[in-house]
Amino acid sequence: MTRSTGTVKAGGREVTRAEVEDFLYEEADILDAWRYDDWLALFEPGARFEVPATDWKGESAFASGSFVTDDWDLLRARVKRLKSRKAHAENPPSRTHRMVTNVRLHEHDDPALLRVTAAFLIHRARDGEFDPYAGRYDHLLVVDGEGLRFRLRRAVLGHELLRPGGRLSFIL
Amino acid sequence: MPEPQGASLPDRLIVEDWDGLTFRVNRFAYRSEEIFERERAHIWARTWLYLGHETEVAEPNAFRTRVLGGRPLIFCRDSDGTVRAFLNACPHRGTVLCRENEGSTKLFQCFYHAWTFRNNGDVAAIPGKDAYEAAGEGFLDSMRLRSVPRLEIHEGFVFVAFDPDVPPLLEYLGDAADYMTMIREQHAAGMEVLPGTQLYSVRGNWKLAVENAMDGYHFSPTHNTFVGYLRETGFAVTDDDQYAYNLGNGHSLLVLTGHGGRISMLWEPRFGEDEKRRTEAHRAEMDERLGPERARYVADESHILFVFPNLLLFDLEGLSIRQLEPAAAGRTDVRAWQLAPRGEDEDTRALRMKTMVSFVGPGGLATPDDIEAYEAVQRGIEATAGDPRPGMDFSDMSRGMVDEVKGVQGRSIDEGAMRGFWRHWIKAIGAEDALAATGPRPAAFLEGRNVR
Ligand code: FES
Ligand SMILES: [Fe+2]
Repeated sequence: MTRSTGTVKAGGREVTRAEVEDFLYEEADILDAWRYDDWLALFEPGARFEVPATDWKGESAFASGSFVTDDWDLLRARVKRLKSRKAHAENPPSRTHRMVTNVRLHEHDDPALLRVTAAFLIHRARDGEFDPYAGRYDHLLVVDGEGLRFRLRRAVLGHELLRPGGRLSFIL
Repeated sequence: MPEPQGASLPDRLIVEDWDGLTFRVNRFAYRSEEIFERERAHIWARTWLYLGHETEVAEPNAFRTRVLGGRPLIFCRDSDGTVRAFLNACPHRGTVLCRENEGSTKLFQCFYHAWTFRNNGDVAAIPGKDAYEAAGEGFLDSMRLRSVPRLEIHEGFVFVAFDPDVPPLLEYLGDAADYMTMIREQHAAGMEVLPGTQLYSVRGNWKLAVENAMDGYHFSPTHNTFVGYLRETGFAVTDDDQYAYNLGNGHSLLVLTGHGGRISMLWEPRFGEDEKRRTEAHRAEMDERLGPERARYVADESHILFVFPNLLLFDLEGLSIRQLEPAAAGRTDVRAWQLAPRGEDEDTRALRMKTMVSFVGPGGLATPDDIEAYEAVQRGIEATAGDPRPGMDFSDMSRGMVDEVKGVQGRSIDEGAMRGFWRHWIKAIGAEDALAATGPRPAAFLEGRNVR
């Protein structure tokens, strides 16, 4: 499950790093443009979104506290909330600027799936502050003939303490 | 803008008017580094502070490092099983001794000159000890790790004090103590802190975090999107029968009965049918174990308990512990843990974690708006700093004051718990003279309640 190469076989076809990079770059653009419906469309129904706590040591989201552990219902509630004028912590919305790099593809025991790791650096501007958020992505993607979808989207923060503004109200 | 250097305390920090029924707090109290220093010296250095939960150092030799009132600490269980807290500084020349956040060790070794200490504080080794020979055993004794002057544990909650002369912990906790007992009683097997700490920092004064927790008034407007989510899952939040209590010593309590379900104690539709069955079974067990009256207090009411000055217990759908560490007048480091029943079955645990995390913490659906609110206060209160017109630079906390006169129990959607907090705060920082009261205080404020 852990071999990382430029190309892996998943969902009955070859997936290239370029295809995965395009998928992640597209996602970054969507989020930076606050197109939350388009963002949700990148998930398969039933998918999850997780942001573990900064002292995470690999426990399941149920065995340990975390910042975000959204099942499909909560993920949709989050998107609905972010689109609302009453999501005060994101009204006006934060400006974000995302960089995604170090993209690596890993085979998965389930032949329909692909594990993708990448590094992220997000800058967030809000209320006269400009804060960096750094970490890595550890995603599970479903592959089909059409393209890629998130089954699990996990952003693991690299911070010891989340100093820049406690409001993780935007999507990491 | 910081206040001008060397500015003295304003002579009116709190203005309480029993004729006009108003209660106002000088916004200087949230901005001033001088007040911050005074709080460090008078509150953090002189009262009991919440350090952590016993189960965070469950095994002998387990340790964690923590900071309270700006002082680095080692929180550990020694090889014999005793819970201890040491100042995390080498007795030799002051180096931070333990530079890991957590782990397990019998010995702490300072990297600077390699002095080594046992986890009960004894000196284990000093390289080249013969150079201190003339000083004898007394020297080794004087070089023991420095313990915090006081450490006491109530229901697994570990408190420390930097002042040896604080009263016994139970006396200090007063009426707050029983609400902590009620938490332990929720499950026969007791509770434990789970791994995965929410560690974050907010750009707001610590007192704003306390006020926000005691402020039921903000719930509907601030958490509009969360209330909407609850409504869609089949639960309507109400403000009925929700009360605020001042428990004395600065501690306060909200009792919330219209707030929502409680995992394994009070079912609501979003928890699902399996949980309904589990809740019924658990409730029967509680009735048996605690008696129906006590079980009702433990299970049917949600509580938000504030233990002055740095502990908030959110006993809601699930249980979160939140610890406040003021880092500067305008910045607070927050640490939050989930407290869960030992040996809980997997499905309940999964439901608990999903439910709690969806509400609390900076990535939840509700807490970000709270943080937005008090960070916005911190920015907004600069507007009137130094305003020469009288009364401009004050925040109003009069809501529900008329009930205090009538002797009616204050509601959670009023500001009585905040007033209680501020009345205690001003005594605690030794500035009682800066509370300007007009008119006679009513005979009795309603405080505490008997649940025993
Ligand atoms: S300062 Fe620790 S051994 Fe010298
Ligand atoms: Fe709130």
